[in-house]
Amino acid sequence: MDKFLVFTIAGLSSAAIYAIAASGLVVTYTTSGIFNFAHGAFGMLAAFGFWQVSVAWGVPTIPAVILIVFVAAPLFGAVVERVIMRGIEGSSDVVKIVVTVSLMVALLGLAQVIWPPDVSRPVPPFFEGRSVEFAGVRVQWSRLLALVVAVVVAGGLRLLFTRTRLGIAMRAVVDDRSLLQLNGGRPGRTAMLSWGLGAALAAISGVLYSTEQTLSAVTLTLLVVNTYAVAVVGRLRSLPGAFLGAVILGLAQSYVTGYINPDLTVGPIALGNLAAALPAIMLFTVLLIQPEARLRSHGAARLRPPQPVPSQRIAVFGGLALVLVLAALGSLIAPSDLVLVTKGAGFALITLSLVPLTGYAGQISLAQLTFTGIGAVAMAAWGANGSPLAVAASIALCAAVGAVIALPALRLSGIYLALATAAFALFCTAMIFNQQQIIPSGSVQVPPLSIGPFTADTDFKQLVLLAILFAGTGNLLVWLRRSAWGRRLTAMKDSPVACATLGLNLTSTKVGVFALSAAIAGAGGALAGRTFTADNFALPSSLPVTMLAVVGGIGSIAGAFMGGMLLGAIPIASTVFAANAIGVFRFVSIPVRDVLTFTPGLMGISLGREPDGAAPQIAVGYRAVGRSAAALAFTVGGVVALWLATRFGPLAKWSFAAALFVFVVAAVPLLPLILRPVLPEDTAPPPRRLACALWLALVTVAAAVFPWADRISSNGVRILLIIVFAALSARVAIGILGVAPEQLRRPIPPSPDLVGVDRPLVRADALEATRQMGLSEDDFEAEVEAIGLEHVTASRGASAVAGADR
Amino acid sequence: MNDVAPVLAVEGLSVRFGGHLAVSDVSIQVHAGRITGLIGPNGAGKTTTFNAICGVTPLSAGRVRLSGEDLGRLSTHQRARRGVGRTFQRLEVFSSLTVADNVRVGLEIRRSWSRRRPPAPQFLAGATDSSLTADDEVDLIVTRIGLADSADVPVGALSTGSARKVELGRALAARPRVLLLDEPASGLDDRETGDLGVLLGELAAAGLGVLLVEHDVALVMRVCADLSVLNFGQVIASGTPTEVQSNRAVLDAYLGGDEALRSTAPIVESELGASG
Repeated sequence: MDKFLVFTIAGLSSAAIYAIAASGLVVTYTTSGIFNFAHGAFGMLAAFGFWQVSVAWGVPTIPAVILIVFVAAPLFGAVVERVIMRGIEGSSDVVKIVVTVSLMVALLGLAQVIWPPDVSRPVPPFFEGRSVEFAGVRVQWSRLLALVVAVVVAGGLRLLFTRTRLGIAMRAVVDDRSLLQLNGGRPGRTAMLSWGLGAALAAISGVLYSTEQTLSAVTLTLLVVNTYAVAVVGRLRSLPGAFLGAVILGLAQSYVTGYINPDLTVGPIALGNLAAALPAIMLFTVLLIQPEARLRSHGAARLRPPQPVPSQRIAVFGGLALVLVLAALGSLIAPSDLVLVTKGAGFALITLSLVPLTGYAGQISLAQLTFTGIGAVAMAAWGANGSPLAVAASIALCAAVGAVIALPALRLSGIYLALATAAFALFCTAMIFNQQQIIPSGSVQVPPLSIGPFTADTDFKQLVLLAILFAGTGNLLVWLRRSAWGRRLTAMKDSPVACATLGLNLTSTKVGVFALSAAIAGAGGALAGRTFTADNFALPSSLPVTMLAVVGGIGSIAGAFMGGMLLGAIPIASTVFAANAIGVFRFVSIPVRDVLTFTPGLMGISLGREPDGAAPQIAVGYRAVGRSAAALAFTVGGVVALWLATRFGPLAKWSFAAALFVFVVAAVPLLPLILRPVLPEDTAPPPRRLACALWLALVTVAAAVFPWADRISSNGVRILLIIVFAALSARVAIGILGVAPEQLRRPIPPSPDLVGVDRPLVRADALEATRQMGLSEDDFEAEVEAIGLEHVTASRGASAVAGADR
Repeated sequence: MNDVAPVLAVEGLSVRFGGHLAVSDVSIQVHAGRITGLIGPNGAGKTTTFNAICGVTPLSAGRVRLSGEDLGRLSTHQRARRGVGRTFQRLEVFSSLTVADNVRVGLEIRRSWSRRRPPAPQFLAGATDSSLTADDEVDLIVTRIGLADSADVPVGALSTGSARKVELGRALAARPRVLLLDEPASGLDDRETGDLGVLLGELAAAGLGVLLVEHDVALVMRVCADLSVLNFGQVIASGTPTEVQSNRAVLDAYLGGDEALRSTAPIVESELGASG
């Protein structure tokens, strides 16, 4: 009985922490419509901040708590809302999810830079040593404190949302933002306050948690999965539901820890990790019993023009070229580099798995490497001789598992699929990849593919195999995209409800896409032919895959390849630059490898501005260069200048190559935008041309000045790093400019019916109207002169036309 | 006139949103080969009735039968496969696809289930059922909705009126037995509305059952064989257009019961009667 009581109290006190964290998540989600995957990272930062202030700097507990929970955290939340989240309001689910996941990864990387994980940072519990007797059981005050705080939070939130103007405004902002504004509310300020409140609640939970467990940035950040598993009980919107969920999960975890013998096994699976898998189990159970989501007709949004689909011919030639280039590269570079390039090609195949799911169907998975892991483990178990049959079986297994995972989540909306996949990743890490029986001593060797006389037993053969696989799968996807099935996916993305009223089973269609995606990711594991560690399949490894896939441009095969190579290259860069550091005003010096740990996160966050990703934008930019004489002249001039500097000047050959590449990849596609004169019909804020031009000059010069030949000994790594440097420069340049080259696409001629509705009436429209009325332009100009207008606005333009008519 | 069994029968339908009864005890019959009008002021529950019929909104009470079969527990796509087609008041076009591809998707989705469950025939004139290839059928539909010139234009770039035509064409590509049209003429000019009326008449003559929600009273009076009037979620009048337009309750619903406004009633009467 005592044991039961002890575990009940422990369970309730962790339930209290979950409840506080979950209520913060619910508050931000219901008031901003953005599900904050970085919520756990907010709590993590607060916990480390609290350690810094109270333990490292010795500030007394109460002022430290006030500083972190009531000052720093709300401020941080408000800044995040203002700087990042406001920009993605109204974006698609995919962009919202990727941006908050990126924020989470960036904060995790940042925390590991500031507080390196190799030092233990104990935080003493509150009221250390104080305890009370309760029914024969000794209970620490700190545990009771958690319960008291949870009750206060619950009561406070209830009062806030029912009794105060602010709380009611917070609820109103979700219902109808523009209506609130019309009624005198200030939605921007309300959203900042709710993010501040959410961050404060995350901070409370983080600080309370830090006193109970060892301070670990990864654990605290991933606590968000427990938190949302709890919040899903209230469909992410109800606070009482979240509290109920918290009690269930807290108690369940506590009893499992207390009563289940960790050595107990079910088949090859030891139950010692069951407590870690419980959030996922709970999430899936709750998803299963939720009724299917109702379809809504909210009027399909007018979307950006679709990305052009390459023709099958281009895809075939592109695939052949890719295989040849990679084979040529592979035959030139040193064996130690070949391993890394091969890894990059493997990642490219895995990022490709997101093209149908995210690019075509608009759904998102955060656990692609989990499927890679399942594929790898299955192949290791079934295909010791590298048989293609075992490969097929492993891929089929991944597809089947993917379908089973996606089914409950896809009955609901897209956000639930992201939640479910992340929970599934944690489940598999606990119950499969961290099991001695399944992956002995934490690493698994995937046997190389062997077909007849061919065995992919060298890195070179493996690279060529992966290139062929990528090209083949890419071609398959282009073919699918152009088929009836591809059209159907586009249709489903534009209007699910219309598809249903035509007789399409939405759930089975989405499950099919997810299974395909899981199969491709699984192939990336079954055919990897290398050794993986259990960590390779964990959630923190999967998140950058999704992020970089989207950053690279998820609608296109080329974008997936770019994302994959970036992913493969980042670890290489961090090895090469292990000893370098970037000095910031000589106060702080950040090691380059640490910068690289949170770069993917920063790249993902910048996505909010241009959701199409980098590759398609760059492609569109080149097309525009041909149409702009100035840009063309500048491009030729730049190349000639670089060549002259090398031929007759001080530039080394490698520097020439690097500068040329950066210039062509990063600067040229943006030239038309930078050089284009400001047109009167420009309505968007003007792009930051000067800053962007300076940045491009800076990176080009940097590429020319950097001693590539001396610093980096191997050709292969040099090539790879130049590519990465150019891609990053391009990405940042687009961010600085604030306008995507996409806007250079020839616009679809707008319907005259919509002038003044979907875009402002401009001078050209007034002129056109004048012409249509059979009047001369001179009459119009004279009338414009007479009224004295520089820019013709809608009503004044109309009166000028009327005047010309007189 | 109603001795034939209706293709769509809505019996005592009620829809409740929380405490608000949006539709209460509504009964409507739609016959194959006839156009039934459903009119009423904004907020009367017309679109909610549509949503309940096609399974987008769950109904709180009542029954929806298609050719006698109770659709009660079926999901939206299952109802669509049995022959319920519709368009939307708030546009639900596939805006990144072209006009032709919007129609083609409708056709392709139909082909994905039509082997197991034969759809209705294509009611458009000129469609001889068996010999029609997919391309022919798409061409035929795109031409008949009057968008042959913009077949390759993405629908996102079209005007609202044209997008409504696309929705109609897409619904026809799925070959429904009964078609629910939610304000198909809003955004159309007079000539286009006239063409729409002709097209609807032709579809009905070929055997399609149509339930038409429309604010263009002239169009409704011209094409509908039966008419129901909805106000505050209830049917306040039904019958032939001529019967309905002389109904006092209908005039009150459109004018409000305010005595002061009664003086304008003749104007509305003449408007209602103009095309009757």
